[in-house]
Amino acid sequence: MTASQIMFDKVEAFYRPANVRAALRLLQSGKGQARVVAGGTDVVVEGDESVRFLIDITHAGLSYIRRRGTACVIGATTTMAELEASDVIQALAGGLLSRAARSCGSVPIRNMATLGGNMANGSPAADMATPLLVLDAAVVMVDVRGRRKLPLAEYLAGARTSRYARSLLVEVVVPDPPDGKGCRWSFQKLGRTAVDISLVNVAAGLQLDSRGRVKWARIALGSVAPAPMRASGAEQRMTGRILDHSLLAEIGAEVAREVSPISDARASAEYRREICSVLTRRALEECSAPAGCSL
Amino acid sequence: MKTMELHLTVNGKSLNWSIAPGELLLDLLRRQGYFGVKRGCEKGECGACAVLLDGKPINSCLMFAAQAEGREILTIEGVADGDKLDPLQEAFLDYGAVQCGFCTSGMVISAKALLLRRPDPSEEEVREALAGHLCRCTGYTKPVEAVLAAASKKKNRARRVKPVAEVAR
Repeated sequence: MTASQIMFDKVEAFYRPANVRAALRLLQSGKGQARVVAGGTDVVVEGDESVRFLIDITHAGLSYIRRRGTACVIGATTTMAELEASDVIQALAGGLLSRAARSCGSVPIRNMATLGGNMANGSPAADMATPLLVLDAAVVMVDVRGRRKLPLAEYLAGARTSRYARSLLVEVVVPDPPDGKGCRWSFQKLGRTAVDISLVNVAAGLQLDSRGRVKWARIALGSVAPAPMRASGAEQRMTGRILDHSLLAEIGAEVAREVSPISDARASAEYRREICSVLTRRALEECSAPAGCSL
Repeated sequence: MKTMELHLTVNGKSLNWSIAPGELLLDLLRRQGYFGVKRGCEKGECGACAVLLDGKPINSCLMFAAQAEGREILTIEGVADGDKLDPLQEAFLDYGAVQCGFCTSGMVISAKALLLRRPDPSEEEVREALAGHLCRCTGYTKPVEAVLAAASKKKNRARRVKPVAEVAR
């Protein structure tokens, strides 16, 4: 027997609930020893040996991408591959989310990994978090008391705590961007290889007025703080100003001040800080490039 | 240890297996004798354990066996038609795309899925499909050439590279 065969040998039952209510009931009765699984790409790698019950939520009706009013709603178990291929997602914010989904590892991983899992794992490097943050996304959490919607940033700040241990993340809500027209978006990621985890990832959104001044700007950075974050200082600094080389340099320096990266096996904090500036400048340049190449 | 029943199809054969609830698909398949499904990194990074799940490549090391309930799995053992190799397998041989062979079954499986979806892929698409497959012998060019050749009805059309066998002639 190899390590992996022993890894989950305390598991007594594998459940496939057909709806969210049944999943919640199982989670509740698991008394902290139940683990929710969808794509498995994080749960299996983490290899928590104390798990006694597995709750597979991929049959709970949470795989969907729909328009709902002025928002796009995405079920938690929607895979990266489905996000890449979806017409609805490709039409949203210049295909920003499709592009980010395509950067989430290899084809086999993207066939398994889910959007909900990418958020619930709470990794600072989660590739879908930064584009969702610039789109002002929210998540819908369900527990025995009911459903509630909370801003993604608020959720991510607590995703690695026990706060949501008895809750299920069931949906991601992406409101339509302001004004729709004229908004430009960019996703930038630096990894060691094409299928690597992000050393740094940056998403940006921008709208220029008729005189070329920044109407609004949104910048989010991943893998450079305890959780994916918005660079609100840099965003505010840009508003109302012409996006020229000196402003790009100023914003690059500002985001480097706002982030708090760590050094690890992949990169030093100093390097990550520098890359924050570079990728932010690239993202903003892509957003402000002449029409026809929004992504 | 507790067990549960699993009903699935592997290489066209409908099967009922008794599994442990926490067992991984990779371990199950190897336990059942599908040794073409390789145990590599067990972290979803190397692609050696790839199989097709309902026609799409997945890493069997990251999937619980119980999640295969009712699904259709294709392993490398099911790619050839009896003794007749799949054109992809032929091309891997013709192009010398196999070195130690450990990564090969995963590569062929992913390439198979690509060609089912995109019969005439670009080189970039082939590279994207193979990006999740690590070859420690470091031979990536030849597998890419082999997949392009298999895709093209006439060999040597997709790339102007001739198989080693022909060059030697």
